[in-house]
Amino acid sequence: MATKLSETETITPVAQPKKARQKSANITERWMLMPSVILLAIISFIPLFYMIYSSFMNYMINPDQPTFYHFHNWAVTFHDSAFWLSWGRTATYAISGLVLEFLLGTALALAIYRLPWGQNIVTTIWMLPLFVAPIVTGLLGRFLVNSTYGLYAWVLQLLGVHTEILGNTLTAMPALILMDMWEWTPLITIIVLAGLQAMPEEPLEAADVDGAHYWDKLRYVILPLIARPLLVAVLVRSMDILRYVDTIMITTEGGPADATKTIGYYLVQIAFQFQDFGRAAAVGLTMLVITILIGQLFVRAFTRGEQQ
Amino acid sequence: MNNTAVATKRHASLSLILVYIFVVLALIWAVVPLIWMILSSLKTQAGMFSMPPKFFFKPTFQTYHIMFSSTGHFGHYLLNSVLASVGSTLISLVLGTLGGWAIARGNFKREKDISFWVISTRMAPIPAVMLPLYLLFSKLGLIGTMVGLIFAYTTFNLPFALWIMMTFFKDIPPALEEAAMVDGCTKFRAFYRVTLPMAAPGLVATGILCLMFAWNDYAFASVFTSTASQTVPVAASLLVSQQGIQWGQAMSTGTVIMAPMVIAGLFVRKYLVRGLSMGAVK
Repeated sequence: MATKLSETETITPVAQPKKARQKSANITERWMLMPSVILLAIISFIPLFYMIYSSFMNYMINPDQPTFYHFHNWAVTFHDSAFWLSWGRTATYAISGLVLEFLLGTALALAIYRLPWGQNIVTTIWMLPLFVAPIVTGLLGRFLVNSTYGLYAWVLQLLGVHTEILGNTLTAMPALILMDMWEWTPLITIIVLAGLQAMPEEPLEAADVDGAHYWDKLRYVILPLIARPLLVAVLVRSMDILRYVDTIMITTEGGPADATKTIGYYLVQIAFQFQDFGRAAAVGLTMLVITILIGQLFVRAFTRGEQQ
Repeated sequence: MNNTAVATKRHASLSLILVYIFVVLALIWAVVPLIWMILSSLKTQAGMFSMPPKFFFKPTFQTYHIMFSSTGHFGHYLLNSVLASVGSTLISLVLGTLGGWAIARGNFKREKDISFWVISTRMAPIPAVMLPLYLLFSKLGLIGTMVGLIFAYTTFNLPFALWIMMTFFKDIPPALEEAAMVDGCTKFRAFYRVTLPMAAPGLVATGILCLMFAWNDYAFASVFTSTASQTVPVAASLLVSQQGIQWGQAMSTGTVIMAPMVIAGLFVRKYLVRGLSMGAVK
């Protein structure tokens, strides 16, 4: 207690003028940050509050003059089995997509890192799908797996698989996951590869001198060294996989028989097909809460990593 | 001893062969759809649908002719796409650069909170952002206008530009600005004359990525545009109808959407990693 008191006593007189100095020194920065903060506030807080407001309003009878609806939208949302099923599908889609992209992306980064030459050219070709618009990915996917004239469907038919892939409840979701993998696995690879290239050499050399097997080296030296880029890759992807609906909008529209109706597409349907904006707002808020929670989880993981 | 060395060496070359096979398979998986799209866009209608698929044929530019002929409005859609993506990129880049530098150099009490706010704005699910913007825009009469679309794209580009430019500026030592200020520069002038030129490569990469996110967008454009303000991705989606899909047109439209982004992306490849990873690989 006594030490604590003396601490504050010594800090206060020093901290006071320093704070004042910082404030005046920050004037230029404040002015330069202001426009971004104002615009960001307009595009984030106003829509957010509007969404909270909308979730308590009834837009169905007279969309121009919504009336107060109490918790009706929320009650309907949480009692709708389609809402929970959509979240379930989203979890399947996101988790299997993330795991597969993470494993393939990391494995490929490790492979590229071992190449004696041509690392740059391989990476360049591998990252091409990143530049493709998600809607083009969807169109291409539809074209390639079409059972009558698709290239991939043709290959599968040679292997004995005959089905309309996007029209089959069993195969539609895996096909969408594969499209997502095609487009975004390169992102994981280049982040991890950048981490590998920034790795210090000494620990690896020490492991080589000790005659460590590659798997031991990977497990005990390489992976711990690239933990941060790995975490970043998962963070960026886990949020983006919830973010985009483009591919689903152009390929299956949630079908067949709702097999690919993720929460994002469920929202799009309620809002823009059924025009039930109040209920859609409630669904949108649940999506926002989940993404912010994931974000906070990762921020925690990061600050813990930095403190160590 | 010698034997084990030989065995390890053989083991190493065997695993290297496996690595090669793995990489080659991955590259084939990555490029086949793209090559197939470009090839299909150059085929005749009949050639496109022939089974087994045709790999060698006499190319025709028919679908590209139709796309840019006077009957289609493709040129108009292209102009809309350029206006909306360039407009939002410019706004995001200017504000993001000023703000990014300010966060990197300034001493803000709530820097962590500001950072998290910025990144969560960027990562909010598109359908969840689309809905309130749609309601607000319809009240303000912004649906179907270029201003509305530019504004919508700025919702994801500004936080992105802010974040990335902040990480680029944090990498540049403030000592140079301080030296310029000792020589009599104001803080802003020191930023403008000394630091900004050094951040130019980062600025270009950020700009290209913003351009790409806006150019490739379909969800926002499909909701916020009307017939007159449609963008190219929306035009591509219109080739899909109840009766079927105009595959020839879809493949050439897809190629036209992809080409400028691939060229621009490869041009600034070196800096893209940092941009795409939100600057956190260090």
